[in-house]
Amino acid sequence: MTINVLPPDVASQIAAGEVVERPSSAVKELVENAIDADARDIRVEVRRGGKTFLSVADDGCGIPAADVELAFERHATSKLSTAGDLDHILTLGFRGEALSSIASVSRVTMVTRAAAEETGVLLRLEGGAVVHRQPSGRAPGTTVTVEDLFFNVPARREFLRTDLTERRHVDNWITRYAIAYPGLRFALLHDDRETFRSPGTGHLHDVLVAVYGHEVGETLLEVFPEGGQERPILVSGFVAPPSFHRSNRQDVTLFVNGRWVQDSRLTYAVIQAYHTFLPVGRYPLAVVMVNLPPEEVDVNVHPAKVEVRFRDADAVFRAVQRAARQALVAKAPIPSAGGAATAARMAWQERHGRPFSHPPLPEPHTQAQQLQPELGMGERRGSLPPLRVVGQIGATYVVAEGPDGLYLIDQHAAHERVLYEQMMDRQEGLASQQVLEPQAVEVPPHAAARVMEGMAALNGLGFDVEPFGGTTFLVRALPAILGRAEPAEALLEVAETLGEARSRVDEALEEAIVRSICKRAAVKAGQVLTREEMEELVRGLERCVSPRTCPHGRPTMIRLSVDQLAREFGRQ
Amino acid sequence: MKVSCLQENLNKGLSIVGRAASPRSTLPILSHVLLETDRGRLRLSATNLEIGVNCWIGARVEEEGAIAIPARTLIDLVSAFPPDQVDMEAVVRTMTLNLHCGRSEANIKGMDAVEFPPVPVPEGEGGITLNPDLLRTAIAQVAFAAATDEARPILTGVLVRFEGSKMTMAAADGYRLSVRTAVLPDPVYEPFSVIVPARALQELGRISGDEKEAITATVTPDHNRILFELTDIVLASQLIPGNFPDYEQIIPKDLGIHVVVNTSDLSKACRTAQIFAREGSNIIQLHVHPGTELEPGRLVVSATSAETGDDVSALDASIEGEPVDIAFNVRYLIDVLSIIETPQVVLDVASASRPGVFRPLGNNEFIYVVMPMHLGR
Repeated sequence: MTINVLPPDVASQIAAGEVVERPSSAVKELVENAIDADARDIRVEVRRGGKTFLSVADDGCGIPAADVELAFERHATSKLSTAGDLDHILTLGFRGEALSSIASVSRVTMVTRAAAEETGVLLRLEGGAVVHRQPSGRAPGTTVTVEDLFFNVPARREFLRTDLTERRHVDNWITRYAIAYPGLRFALLHDDRETFRSPGTGHLHDVLVAVYGHEVGETLLEVFPEGGQERPILVSGFVAPPSFHRSNRQDVTLFVNGRWVQDSRLTYAVIQAYHTFLPVGRYPLAVVMVNLPPEEVDVNVHPAKVEVRFRDADAVFRAVQRAARQALVAKAPIPSAGGAATAARMAWQERHGRPFSHPPLPEPHTQAQQLQPELGMGERRGSLPPLRVVGQIGATYVVAEGPDGLYLIDQHAAHERVLYEQMMDRQEGLASQQVLEPQAVEVPPHAAARVMEGMAALNGLGFDVEPFGGTTFLVRALPAILGRAEPAEALLEVAETLGEARSRVDEALEEAIVRSICKRAAVKAGQVLTREEMEELVRGLERCVSPRTCPHGRPTMIRLSVDQLAREFGRQ
Repeated sequence: MKVSCLQENLNKGLSIVGRAASPRSTLPILSHVLLETDRGRLRLSATNLEIGVNCWIGARVEEEGAIAIPARTLIDLVSAFPPDQVDMEAVVRTMTLNLHCGRSEANIKGMDAVEFPPVPVPEGEGGITLNPDLLRTAIAQVAFAAATDEARPILTGVLVRFEGSKMTMAAADGYRLSVRTAVLPDPVYEPFSVIVPARALQELGRISGDEKEAITATVTPDHNRILFELTDIVLASQLIPGNFPDYEQIIPKDLGIHVVVNTSDLSKACRTAQIFAREGSNIIQLHVHPGTELEPGRLVVSATSAETGDDVSALDASIEGEPVDIAFNVRYLIDVLSIIETPQVVLDVASASRPGVFRPLGNNEFIYVVMPMHLGR
């Protein structure tokens, strides 16, 4: 077999495959070029999801007429000149592959004029080869039009999805850049209709309102930049209150130094920040920006530049989790009754994609549903106002009155939260109660190994458990918090929790045990409470740091605001 | 059915059987009281299938018959009647009980008596004779220690054992054990044990409050029930099948530290400590300081709450053995201290991880074993 050096056009088609996967990747690369060219206004037009036509027009610095052809050479870039520059990349593009890759698989027309020159240039390429060049008039800036993408790569063309899917990918990228660059005005047109426009006010929040709609936008909680101790890691952005949640992780949007990235670890850091706030299997909506010195992060990991490596990944993880958690704990409002309608709207949006074309009208009363912080007992203590117990309904919910409306409290969830914080907050170990006769408890085989591993954690939490051969364990003592619980049942329940837990670090393991202990120890629904017990419960909840959700993330309370009551009774 | 009786008698009879009715049962008939003429008297019966109570009251029977009437309504109505004669007539066609008392007339809708589950009455002679005062005390000292949740049904019962002229009652909930022995007026020939639901014994304790005559206990031949026969009252209870844990081996024999202290002083100290202990897990500390030649021994009771504060009570005590600190659930201590009748109580302990044993001083018929707690490691 003979070995041939590939002709340049074949080589560049192969390379193009890495950079240009689908229309949206071309849009991404072109938008990045526009941003790197200091554009203020970026207008993206797409037809049929970009399969037949896409164009990106900017008012940036343009390309001098003499360099226009050079821009389409492989590894030609204005952004980098020596390898040393790679260590502190501040531009989005740098590899010098984008234009040549796009050009090699489509018909490209570029109209550009550098600010310093009098006329611009129109250059037309097909499959990477220049077919036409003429002078052309244009305001300073560049327009790149890509037609018939993959016309010469049928295999790739076959793999393109429906127009709608490709369109959604384009939407996602434009949204990401609009969020990353709130100072730039983005306009997006699909099949000649404008579907998105970012205001370019420089305020991230304004962009998020444009992206997620007023209703979600108004409730977002700001994450304030906080520097890490050891390394200068700045985390900012917005997180949705726990009452909004989605069925997948896709709405956790991450940016590192202004670059949108996919990083499962950082996504997990954000989800971790919602720990115990969200129902199981639900994910938050969050936009998190991480800024750190360029030498702390390697962006040259992947041709599409959506993955990054951190020099100190743990520090970044901690910084993100801490910042998001602080924003949540300090400011998350209590879900309000009538939330069902809001939830339905959220679900609608989830099904139908983001409200690109029809952002919902602003809700006139959303403001009233926010808890006024000055009514609270102080920011750190979860800002729950003092509540007066009114009574109990259905032996399940406690009704209480606050300065700002009616509170319905789920007694089991609330008690779980109170116990959970007491247990996690304790200074020493947990009080344990010895049993009369050590009891041999057989646990299911899948849980037995977990009990063995978790034995130290269990014994630190008030249990006294030791192996008794096979899958049997001897229980000598139980956490006193469980009251007069039956040892076998208590251990089996905790063992079940451990069995369900996937690979967990020690800390999380302990939390999981504590959660299952609290669940068991908390008053159950259907238990009639005396007034004293209800008051004790509400006082306990007021002392909690995160009184609004149970440790499993269900809400502990809902509120009917004074306004809402007045509205319902037609007083307003 | 057509009967007349005095309001006082009917009211008292209903208060005796009424507690056995179960208003929240899925079987509507169980929330009813059965009224039935029985050999010239009126018999009242109520049952929740576990416990059943029969009570006979004097009445003038004009027409035999029976009807079941909602317990709550009948009890409330009769207690509101003046102390006068109550005339009752059951209208079979409408299943209604018509009542007359003084100026009041009432009609209560009832159910057919045949639907009422039979509440057994003793057949024939025999049975064990019990002294009512002794029985009441024994129940009060033991039944509270039984478990209340149904996870281990056996522990919701009280083991009652008869052997020779000795009766033993024992109950445990997994954390403490209470055992009481008593001498029987007449010895039994065959030793035997049964497990009686603690609730049934507590109900027996309640309704035997005025009883002066000896109480007779009989176990039905099928060994399913125990019947307690009082004057004009029979309480029948299901027995709990199974074997009670061997409680004797739980009672420690070799505890080295012996504390004697005033019962009411310790009880008060525990109640004070409970104010702080209840915030946490009801945990209180007992610090045992044996005396020297110059000063008496001291038992120091203390409790601490991270939220509320703390308290310490120092009691004079006669102590033999080493100093030791041991923690208990204060509720378990208050439970036992309130049923010990002697002025002084004995507490035997060995170490922080071994049980404590309470006994009335000078009385070996009662013993209470309680497991310690630990402040976490």
